[in-house]
Amino acid sequence: MKKKLLALLIASTMVVGTLAGCGGQAPADSAENTGASEGTNASGVQALIDATEGTVELTVWASEIQQDLTQQLVDEFEALYPDVDFNITVGACSEAQAKDTVLTDVTAAADVYTFADDQINELVAGGALQPVSASYTYDVAGENLSGAVEAATVDGQLYAYPSTASNGYFMFYSTEYFTEDDVKSFDQMMQIAADNGKKITMQIDAGWYLYSFFKGAGLDTGLNEDGVTNFCEWNQDGGTDVAQAILDICSNPGFQSATDEEFQTGIAEGTIIAGVSGTWDAEAAAAAWGDNYAAAKLPTFTVAGEQVQMSSYSGYKLIGVNPHSDYVGWSMLLAEYLTCQSSQEKRFDTYQEGPANAAAAASDAVKANPAIAALAAQAEFATPQRIGGNYWASSETLGSILAAGNPDGTSLQELLDNAVAGITAPVSE
Amino acid sequence: MREKYDEEIKTELSDEEIDNLDVNAMIHEQRIREKSAEKEKRKQQRKESVQSVGRYFSDAWEAFTRGDVWVKLSSVLMGAGYFARKQIINGLLVMLAEAGFIFFIAFYSVPFLADFGTLGTVKFESVFDPVTLQNTVNDYDNSFLILLNSIISIFVIIVFVIFYIANIKNVYKLQLDKESGKHINTFREDLNELVNDRFHITLLTLPVIGVILMNIIPIFVLVAVAFTNYDQQHMPPNSLFTWVGLANFKSLFSNSITATFGYAFGKILVWTLVWAVFATFTTFIGGILLAILINHKRVKLKKMWRTLFIIAIAVPQFVTLLLVRNFFADSGIVNTICSNLGITRLLQNIGLVSTSIDYIPFLTDPGWAKFMIIMINIWVGVPYQMLISTGILMNIPSDQIESARIDGASNWQIFWHIKIPHILFIQGPALITDFVKNINNFNVIWLLTQNVFITHDQALASSNAKEVDLLVTWLFRLTNEYYNYKMASVIGIVVFVICAVFTLITYTRTIKGDREEDFR
Amino acid sequence: MGNITDDTVEKKEIQISRTDNGDGFLKFRKKLFDVLRYVLLVFLVVVWLIPILWLCVTSFSSQSGINISHFFPTSWSVDNYIKLFLKPDSVVRYVTWFRNTLEISVFTCLISTAFVLMVSYAMSCMRFKGRKALMSMSLILGMFPGVLSMIAIYFVMKSLNLTNSHIGMIIVYSAGSGLGFLIAKGFMDTIPTSLREAAKLEGASEFTIFSKVVLPLSKPIVVYQVICSFLIPWGDFVMAKLMLNSGKAEDWTVAIGLYNMLDKSLVNSYFSVFCAGGVIVSIPISILFVIMQKFYVEGITGGSVKG
Repeated sequence: MKKKLLALLIASTMVVGTLAGCGGQAPADSAENTGASEGTNASGVQALIDATEGTVELTVWASEIQQDLTQQLVDEFEALYPDVDFNITVGACSEAQAKDTVLTDVTAAADVYTFADDQINELVAGGALQPVSASYTYDVAGENLSGAVEAATVDGQLYAYPSTASNGYFMFYSTEYFTEDDVKSFDQMMQIAADNGKKITMQIDAGWYLYSFFKGAGLDTGLNEDGVTNFCEWNQDGGTDVAQAILDICSNPGFQSATDEEFQTGIAEGTIIAGVSGTWDAEAAAAAWGDNYAAAKLPTFTVAGEQVQMSSYSGYKLIGVNPHSDYVGWSMLLAEYLTCQSSQEKRFDTYQEGPANAAAAASDAVKANPAIAALAAQAEFATPQRIGGNYWASSETLGSILAAGNPDGTSLQELLDNAVAGITAPVSE
Repeated sequence: MREKYDEEIKTELSDEEIDNLDVNAMIHEQRIREKSAEKEKRKQQRKESVQSVGRYFSDAWEAFTRGDVWVKLSSVLMGAGYFARKQIINGLLVMLAEAGFIFFIAFYSVPFLADFGTLGTVKFESVFDPVTLQNTVNDYDNSFLILLNSIISIFVIIVFVIFYIANIKNVYKLQLDKESGKHINTFREDLNELVNDRFHITLLTLPVIGVILMNIIPIFVLVAVAFTNYDQQHMPPNSLFTWVGLANFKSLFSNSITATFGYAFGKILVWTLVWAVFATFTTFIGGILLAILINHKRVKLKKMWRTLFIIAIAVPQFVTLLLVRNFFADSGIVNTICSNLGITRLLQNIGLVSTSIDYIPFLTDPGWAKFMIIMINIWVGVPYQMLISTGILMNIPSDQIESARIDGASNWQIFWHIKIPHILFIQGPALITDFVKNINNFNVIWLLTQNVFITHDQALASSNAKEVDLLVTWLFRLTNEYYNYKMASVIGIVVFVICAVFTLITYTRTIKGDREEDFR
Repeated sequence: MGNITDDTVEKKEIQISRTDNGDGFLKFRKKLFDVLRYVLLVFLVVVWLIPILWLCVTSFSSQSGINISHFFPTSWSVDNYIKLFLKPDSVVRYVTWFRNTLEISVFTCLISTAFVLMVSYAMSCMRFKGRKALMSMSLILGMFPGVLSMIAIYFVMKSLNLTNSHIGMIIVYSAGSGLGFLIAKGFMDTIPTSLREAAKLEGASEFTIFSKVVLPLSKPIVVYQVICSFLIPWGDFVMAKLMLNSGKAEDWTVAIGLYNMLDKSLVNSYFSVFCAGGVIVSIPISILFVIMQKFYVEGITGGSVKG
């Protein structure tokens, strides 16, 4: 209790003195200039510099694709503190797999690592994230989009530094086949695809995507207050209608349930002309479709004769600090640097990933990006992922049964009941 | 053994009155005879082994009570007995070992062993100081390290006790030797022994240490984990886990809506056994047939044919299997070709493929996936078996086949009554090892189905299992993705028991070495 | 071993065919079967080699993702190989991986071959107390599923501070190899006792017998062991991934590196590079396998015939 109070107190006094940009105020001489009045955080950094002896050995994990930029940012970070001897290694670990690698042995994991926000619950439960109880070079909670901050928060405590805000999904399409009006309705899109002998895709056998149908129809699922188990309304009134709607979509000749890899291959080959996916496929789609490349929010689909807007999960990439790091302080400063406004802007420039930083996200260049604009349009129908581990396997199985056309002919209500039983199953003590 | 067998076959074949089948009957009879003799022998052995354990300890006690003062002193200062017989270096080495042991136990093991009963009580706590940017961490217990190090320490203690008993006996023997005026070895002579009569000690020390480190200790640790609650909710270093007795075994063998481990276990066990039987026999028979085909006398360029098949297995398995997985993907190239050729439509008409999908679910439908896995395993396994069968076929004494031919045996008869029994005889034991290997065949199943196959059974999904999983792939997923070490260890123990029982029933007689002297 | 060559089979055939008296129908049937036999063989070879062929042609594809509509790439290039060898990026460090794997496998091979031969000699040629107990125990140990003990091995190695090191990998691959002595022991069982006894009468020590008498006679099994243990690090990705977990691509082995290329986020940019990498690893291994063929057969059958 005392600990929490203290942390809160200090955090609140500390954040006041933040400056714009990220590097500016940290170096030793500027810290002297800021003076005592608002210098709590700067003096913290200064105290850290003074207290540091020998080489600071840090490991940073970023996805394979982002190695180059991460290395560049690390170099810049090192240059900010000329008095400190750093040895920072950049390693590869994709955001989607961070949890698996980190939790196997937390003490051996990197000091600073990137992960997708759906893993935050398990990482916190596994003690793999250092609480962000204070920020030093910029106001983490204040400068980032509220959705991103919410995604990085568990039980009211901020646990990670938001890095990108574009990890959700939306609809890619080729204007060669679709008009802006066409992409408002799933049925219309499938019709056009079928007429052209092509496909539109979405991965049905994945809980992440399946959610958008049920949630769109008003049937929610999410985390209980205990933070481990789930509630799920999918088997309530109207659930079978949604399941039937998904079955209909899957059996439509203009539709195919496809993974990301299949989507990318398909658009390159020209067999897929639209699909639900995320910014990670933007480059491939732009390359395949050229000027015809476009993106939009998710369409509506037909449930029991009515048009229903699809919902979605919003997604963020977060950077976390390992509490077992030997240099927690430096790790936090590095994580702050990797997620500060200028770094997020660079990340957008290099990889077209939408910034989580509010100022960076408001820039014209970001707004002009079709993928990010689509995400923004989808934002009002998107919800952050707050779901316990039991959700994934059961929803995936439900999706795979529906995608395969319910081969056993089980009643839809029973399918949903089974899935809900799995999703809401208690977690062993 | 082989000579005997060959001789029999020869006499059988030259005697026209007796059908070839009788060869098998003869062998059978002979085996029965051998078996009963063996049984007797075993009974006796068992009795002896019980007695010998008792003798082991009574001998040590006798040595201690009857020994002189130096022997008695050796029970405390282990080198004393050697010093008294002027084996100074031996004495020093033994003293050094004793000191090392005491040092190890006192300074390393005690803290772990003290917590072994609870597996730790102090939970990890860390307080961050925002002014100094440092974490203050308490002196917490790590349950896993306590478990691991306790088991290592217990091992060291057991080894030391054996060493200690051997030492007392040895010192007493030295005393007796001295009293009866026998020659007592110098250190140099002792060393010399190590490349002669006791050469096995030299040979075995390093490999045994390696096996203890890499096999025995890990196995004991995981057997112990099966009796704890080590899972994702109790992961060191941030949480503690503790002993829970047989609770995990109970949840494996019970079945309720929320705990589906029992159901999943039953299903996967059945498929594991089905798979092992199919995988073993299809590759075995396939390999023999291929070997016979290639080794047919009128097939030219035998070596080239063989090499072509070998190339297929020379590419590392993970490369070929991952490739084949993409080959047969739902929107993969085989599906494209099948759909262009109308095969997909054909299969839909027969009812093998659901009409609601327009691809063949090679690796995504439970039934199809099981079939494909077995087929692909044939692809992987047959070339190996072909090589081995070739070797065996080449070794069938030619006179056997010749005399069979002269007696008018057809190719078919020769195949069934000479070649197959011969291969079976030689390969029998290997077939059983193959079966056990297939029960634990991780690569094929994992590489073909991981991230591709999604179960269609909610009860399996709740236990993180899939229809195509073997017990080993299931337990790998449980540890690697869900950190459910407790259940994985329980499953591991069950797999082990199944394999061990199976092997012991069918195998001991041929492998245990009871007959190895007969062959020389 | 192998004293029946194809030649003698041929001779036998001539003998027997003389009794056939050249019946026309039989001759035709024979011809037909000959043709059918070759057709079957060619068919089987095609089935067995199609994936390998696909691997090879895809490695020369200029399209980086998975090819789903054509078996052969639409345009050819050697870019993938250039990338492997000359243009390493953050995902592909093929030359480094190759060197790492080679290093690990050479030492693994030396140590585990030595271990296997040492244990086999002790078990086969020597008689001592507890020998049978040791043999039964090793048989039982071999049945415990290896994937399960990995996590414990990891922590054992970590407490020895040997994770993320190639020495650690060598130990992991070779330390337990003593358990795999059965085949080599079976082979040594076939070496006549009289040879060893004769050497003993001349005053040779057990060590001399081991190194000067038994080892030279065990050449096939030595070669077999050398090649088998050499191949382990090239194919293992599970253990290696667990042990080399620092995320530093420079530390990886070929297997981890290639496996990593098929990660969801990478597969569409690196699939054909993966194929090229697969082809390059396969070349040395194929050569070893072809050499091994003879020894493999002699070693295995020698080991299990016991006669």
